[in-house]
Amino acid sequence: MYSYQHFIDYFKNAPAIIQVVWVMIVLFMVIIIILIIYLKLLRSRLRKNEKIVAQYQNEYESNLITYLYSGNEEEEISAEQQLIVEKLKSCVPDKFKRRVVVSTLLRLRNEISGEMAESIQKLYFQTGLINYALSSLKSKKWYVVAKGIRELAQFHVKEVNDQIVIHVNNPNKEIRKEVQLYLVTLFHFEGLKFLDVLQTQLSEWDQIQLLEVLQRFDEQEIPNINPWLKSKNDSVVIFAIKLAKIYNQFEAKDTLLDLLEHRHKKIRVEAIQVLSHLQVYEAKEVLKNKFNELSLEEQIAFFKLLENVFESSDESFLQEHIQHKNFEIKVSALKIFKLLNIEKFHSFKRLLSAPKDAEIIEFIENN
Amino acid sequence: MNTSTVEIIILIIHFLFFIYACTAIASYIILAMISSKETIEYMKKNSFVNYKEILSSTISPSITIIAPAYNESLNIIENVRSLLSSHYVNYDVVIVNDGSKDDSLEKMIVAYDLVKVDFLINQQIPTKPIRAGVFKSTNPAFEKLTVVDKVNGGKADALNMGLNISKSDYVACIDVDCLLLENSLQKMIKPFLEVTDKTVIATGGVIRIANSCIIKDGKLLDVNFPKKLIEKAQILEYIRAFLLGRMAWSRLNGLLVISGAFGLFNKKVAIEVGGYDTNTVGEDMELIVRMRRYMEETKQKYKVAYIPDPLCWTEAPDNYKIFISQRNRWTRGTIETLRMHRKVAFNPKYKSLGLLSYPYWLLYERLAPVIEVIGIIYFIILAALNEVRWDYALAFIILAYLFAVLFSIVAIFSEELTYHQYKKKGTGFKLIMISLLEPFVLHPFILYAAIRGNIDYYFNKKKKWGEMTRKGMATS
Amino acid sequence: MSDAKKIVLAEDNSTLSLLLKFRLEKEGYKLLIAADGKEAIELIEQHDPELILTDIMMPFISGLEVISHVRNKLNKQTPIIVFSAAGQEEMVLKAFNLGANDFMGKPFSPNELVIRVKRLLR
Repeated sequence: MYSYQHFIDYFKNAPAIIQVVWVMIVLFMVIIIILIIYLKLLRSRLRKNEKIVAQYQNEYESNLITYLYSGNEEEEISAEQQLIVEKLKSCVPDKFKRRVVVSTLLRLRNEISGEMAESIQKLYFQTGLINYALSSLKSKKWYVVAKGIRELAQFHVKEVNDQIVIHVNNPNKEIRKEVQLYLVTLFHFEGLKFLDVLQTQLSEWDQIQLLEVLQRFDEQEIPNINPWLKSKNDSVVIFAIKLAKIYNQFEAKDTLLDLLEHRHKKIRVEAIQVLSHLQVYEAKEVLKNKFNELSLEEQIAFFKLLENVFESSDESFLQEHIQHKNFEIKVSALKIFKLLNIEKFHSFKRLLSAPKDAEIIEFIENN
Repeated sequence: MNTSTVEIIILIIHFLFFIYACTAIASYIILAMISSKETIEYMKKNSFVNYKEILSSTISPSITIIAPAYNESLNIIENVRSLLSSHYVNYDVVIVNDGSKDDSLEKMIVAYDLVKVDFLINQQIPTKPIRAGVFKSTNPAFEKLTVVDKVNGGKADALNMGLNISKSDYVACIDVDCLLLENSLQKMIKPFLEVTDKTVIATGGVIRIANSCIIKDGKLLDVNFPKKLIEKAQILEYIRAFLLGRMAWSRLNGLLVISGAFGLFNKKVAIEVGGYDTNTVGEDMELIVRMRRYMEETKQKYKVAYIPDPLCWTEAPDNYKIFISQRNRWTRGTIETLRMHRKVAFNPKYKSLGLLSYPYWLLYERLAPVIEVIGIIYFIILAALNEVRWDYALAFIILAYLFAVLFSIVAIFSEELTYHQYKKKGTGFKLIMISLLEPFVLHPFILYAAIRGNIDYYFNKKKKWGEMTRKGMATS
Repeated sequence: MSDAKKIVLAEDNSTLSLLLKFRLEKEGYKLLIAADGKEAIELIEQHDPELILTDIMMPFISGLEVISHVRNKLNKQTPIIVFSAAGQEEMVLKAFNLGANDFMGKPFSPNELVIRVKRLLR
């Protein structure tokens, strides 16, 4: 016991800071040992979970397939189906099992359509899974709400529309995103009505996702986009411009022309691009007349538009700009010239003799 | 000067060392806490995003992958193939053959049916000229590929050529031997598109170490934990730096470095600031600092984002010689960048860049090895003069060691709870072992390389870049 | 059942594979299931099936590579039906260029798939 006593004495007589250091050493060692043991447990739990998930998934997968193939015409639900419903029902109160059941159903729900898809949805109701999704809407945790909405969208539960629309202007970005996806997935263009009341900005990511969902449907009957093009919410305007482009909304031409005066530069540029896509000749005259007041981005976009809608009357305007210091504008102008008046184009060879310009002319000549 | 003044000066120096050590440790702890908060949020946010079903369409913004290659003939075909297999739709790949002296170009021409094409380059950033020309494939399966052969000008120059050639809104600058997972572009582009109130100028990705992993046809088939100490220690080091360090800096919007091996940039801003600097060995860090500076100076709101998912896998040095030359270069890159932008330091005009990120890098990254060596020398002198209280010194050394180990273990935990890449049985034990050993098997070499870097920077200016000779990717 | 026509199905979604296996085996076909492109190629080389069903996006080796392997490396004219998710029009075009015979956009109805399979195997 001598050394132990010795150490106690040493510790007592050491300065405070050394005492602190020794206390921390012991503390750290204890923490490290605890963490090492915990890491061991954690890793084996993760490994085990992976195995269990795979096992449950296999089981539920074959349950699901049996369910889908054991229906018959006469009964609403066959005895065999009833058995599976009961079995799954007993699994869903367990959070871990529920997650696997839901993901198994979804893996199939997302990939198939027709009668079988409807059967899967029926199973979703019969097993009571829907109640868990609905109760998650009332959760205080944003990700639980968002996940719940997503699940309801994936299972096409249209009936709970009212409970979901109230979240359109939810302060949480992720919840809003799921609400929008829910509406558009289930109600297609009709679901876009949320744009009328949206107070927050629709991010580029959200817009792309919505457009991708919309593109999955065959219907091309799109609602009147004019009100959205006039929206006070700039992101809604940008989104509407994208709709105009993808669905060739020539009817919205006049509103699009008005957007050339919008206070937001990005919107002006995008408006030029869509007018170019729709080949609106009126846009050309408007922009040509105020070309020098435009920002560089608008000028570049305008020249792209010109490539689509040029006429021989544009020749003098183009000639003014073949010396433009912006590369893209110069290339555009020369490209159009080549198509418009090949002789004049050749005459530029003398005019633009700087090596860089010669390179551009040569390239356009050959391509 | 009498003895008491000397004593006071020495006391002050002691005090400064002590404060430095305490603040360094405190900063680690704070960063780890911030990063765990940020990681949890990130995981929650992305747990139910199905990357497979989104952004496969053409509405998504265009991305160009720029990969400079210099004498990479050994693996170039495989590497290009990996770059071409991304699941993102609206992207293309530009391989810039930077004056290679081997047969890289010929190999690519044969493997990918390349032919020379007319290509008009808008030379917004000056670069070394084109050598053999610009090539595209005649095979529609490789229509996304462009190969540019230019006169040698170094990595930065090659990347600039790529910036000039790209017609996309975003560019991904990567090392040609990096292996990208198929959904990496989807994940990396997300921050650019999500933020509505500021401009995201760049997104950085995590680099994972591919040594001993099984890779076939440009795809990662199996993740293995390598055998050599130096490789294992680097894995631990990367996990620590990326999961505990950068994640926190991303939260603070204070990232100064995006790894040169994989970063996605807003092309417009990158070109506006003049592209990569060809006069530094730390072109990746320098570009980010310059872009941040530009955004501050033009008073635009901006963000440098960071994605912690393991998306990019690359071969790390597997011997000390190459390791040291790599770290030596990193050190010189850091010194050069910090010197070039010293105007930013402690300047309130640059907000958190000038008051937080820059000073932190200067004090705890740039100067840390120097201070450590001064400390060691001082300690040796004291020992020689028999002025060391060995029992106290020992207590502090043990404490420092235990802290380092503890910190590594925390990093291992964050890896296990998030991505859990090393699933195999027994690897957990190996990870623990390496966190105990790392202070002896890796740290001394990092310190040595950093000091060499300082010496080379100040006294050996002509030192050329250590070329990193690479071992072929493990194929099965 | 030795004369049952063999079909190789390459699909990384195991639930869908299982569903289609049941459905098609009910019609009297013999199904061989692969979880990725690599397994698919192995199965095709081993069993020389009468028909190949493959998803386009799969881990490791994509459906496109499977098609190209069958047509160019094995020089076989086995009919191939590809599955694609929405928004992969470009991929579908490529698949046709490489020699696919038919495609089904996901989500699809299994009954419709059966009709198309029957038509190709008539």
